Amino acid sequence: MRRALAFAWLRLRREPGRMLLGVIGVTAIGALLFDMLLLSNGLLVSFRERLDRSGFDVRVIASESAVIAGPPIDHVSAKLTELGRKPSIAAVQRVRVASADVADHPSTRHLAVAGVDLGAPVPWTLLEGAPPNAQASPAPLVINRNFARTFHLTVGSPVVLNGRCGDASRPLPLDATVAGVAEFQNDAADALTAATSSQAVAALCGERGDLADMLLVQSNPAAGGPDAAAAAIRAAFPALHALTNEQIVERFSRVEFSYFRQLSSVLTTVTLFFGLLLITVLLTVSVNQQLGEIAALRALGLSRARVMAGVLCESALFIGLGGIAAVPIGGLLSRWLDAILRSMPGIPADARFFVFTLHALEVHAALLVIGAVLAAVYPMRLVATLPIAATLRREVVS
Amino acid sequence: MTVPVVAANAVSRTFVMPAGAVHALRGVSLSVQPGEYVSVVGPSGCGKSTLLHLLGCIDVPTAGSVLVDDIDVSTLSDSARSALRLRRIGFVFQRFFLLPMLSAWENVELPQAEAGVSRAERRQRTRELLEYVGLSARASHRPAELSGGEMQRVAIARALANRPGLLLADEPTGELDQATGAQIVSLFDRLNADGTALVVVTHDPEVAARASRSVRMRDGEIVEETTRPCC
Repeated sequence: MRRALAFAWLRLRREPGRMLLGVIGVTAIGALLFDMLLLSNGLLVSFRERLDRSGFDVRVIASESAVIAGPPIDHVSAKLTELGRKPSIAAVQRVRVASADVADHPSTRHLAVAGVDLGAPVPWTLLEGAPPNAQASPAPLVINRNFARTFHLTVGSPVVLNGRCGDASRPLPLDATVAGVAEFQNDAADALTAATSSQAVAALCGERGDLADMLLVQSNPAAGGPDAAAAAIRAAFPALHALTNEQIVERFSRVEFSYFRQLSSVLTTVTLFFGLLLITVLLTVSVNQQLGEIAALRALGLSRARVMAGVLCESALFIGLGGIAAVPIGGLLSRWLDAILRSMPGIPADARFFVFTLHALEVHAALLVIGAVLAAVYPMRLVATLPIAATLRREVVS
Repeated sequence: MTVPVVAANAVSRTFVMPAGAVHALRGVSLSVQPGEYVSVVGPSGCGKSTLLHLLGCIDVPTAGSVLVDDIDVSTLSDSARSALRLRRIGFVFQRFFLLPMLSAWENVELPQAEAGVSRAERRQRTRELLEYVGLSARASHRPAELSGGEMQRVAIARALANRPGLLLADEPTGELDQATGAQIVSLFDRLNADGTALVVVTHDPEVAARASRSVRMRDGEIVEETTRPCC
């Protein structure tokens, strides 16, 4: 095999046009293949990273049918008190999301306002200003950069919000002060997002109930981690649905993101097929052009296995060289495609569609190895079944 | 009694064609002793090349047997036959069949590499062979840069690479002009004088006349054998 590989390498070096054609073709096809592999799992990996970055590892909702937005959870304060006593739970946060707009401003764009317990761990990362104080008056408001930029707000700026939520007859204007600028989880690049205390959001929407759309839980790693925390929540409140990050990712993988996987699987198959076709054609043409030489080599004593190995090695070199070059080119291409997809409206700014993983690289390599073998099957069969005497006779006659 | 380098015993070869069976060889027997020089002559289609292919173990007889160094070739696997060809039989073809992307040196070196000869030995043997055929100065040239006679001399050097006891040549001067053909024939004389058994299939009476034994074929049979008393 070593001799066959060395000979195949020599042949390709001496036929640079053919080598270039094959390697460039495989590089282009391999880059697309690599991107499909990055895409097939990228959104899920990125989603998982974002969930983990939030600092909360269990999410509690009222209905299993909707992970993000569903019916609210009631009597939240009592539930928080009880959950706070569980040893497997380190901290619990409530989230109530409301819609509002900025009073006395020409912009008609609504903003999302999250009401949370300001004394508990919060689902944002503060970039400017100070952590908001629940007792402060007017209500402290943490806003995202886009909000600050759009409404020319800085830390300390006063702002009045009109609620677009709850009972339309009850909402009252909310006087607030910008306490900080922060980065929020799942924020789209063009989103207007703010957060304040849960009491302020209740007032903004005119709500009297003690409601939350979701509870965010930090589990206690020393007491069984997220699985134990989720189990404790389910035991305490069987009507609620507690999902660990792992379970949310699994559910998204099965349902919401399965379209991406199917799409990339189809495109991967098509891409691989064209790669195989290219190499098979190149090798078959080359074999057919040299039937006399191959028959002569067989007559001189090269075994059937040796000439087959020669074809396989050529295929491996084409696909190996092209496949290696495809990784950086596919990487660059994926960054460009990622930027296009991320610029779509409503996509969280920190979401990524193409994520490099070692697994994707391994699958890429495995598919190329399989591809090299499959591409060589037909030309290998040609040389294996070549009748030596008849071929020599035919070549002389022709 | 000396063991023949190759012996065909009552070999027949029939090709099944859509238009009907073609009997290329009909019960031919031919034995070649070590160091012997045999020419095979006859009209086109009489079975000369088919006989050569059977002697060279690149085809199998429909009936009869071929023995190389007293080994019945029909008992060998395909890979064992390849190994036998690699080490014991050299082939020279009318159309040379040199690998176009390799230099003359690399073409000669290739069968040695396949036989597992060490790099140092290969280098030594290749140099000797190219000197032997008078092409030392053309060692780095590729076939496209060589004349027909030079290509055939490289092909002869390649055929001799693993020191075979038997060299088979199928119309070795068929693609060459008379003067160049004469050079090749002289080279065969020298080879035979150095102890290599030769079987040369040819249309050329001058080439055939150099052999110590001449076999004439017609319609798949040997019809005449002439031995030159002295060389």
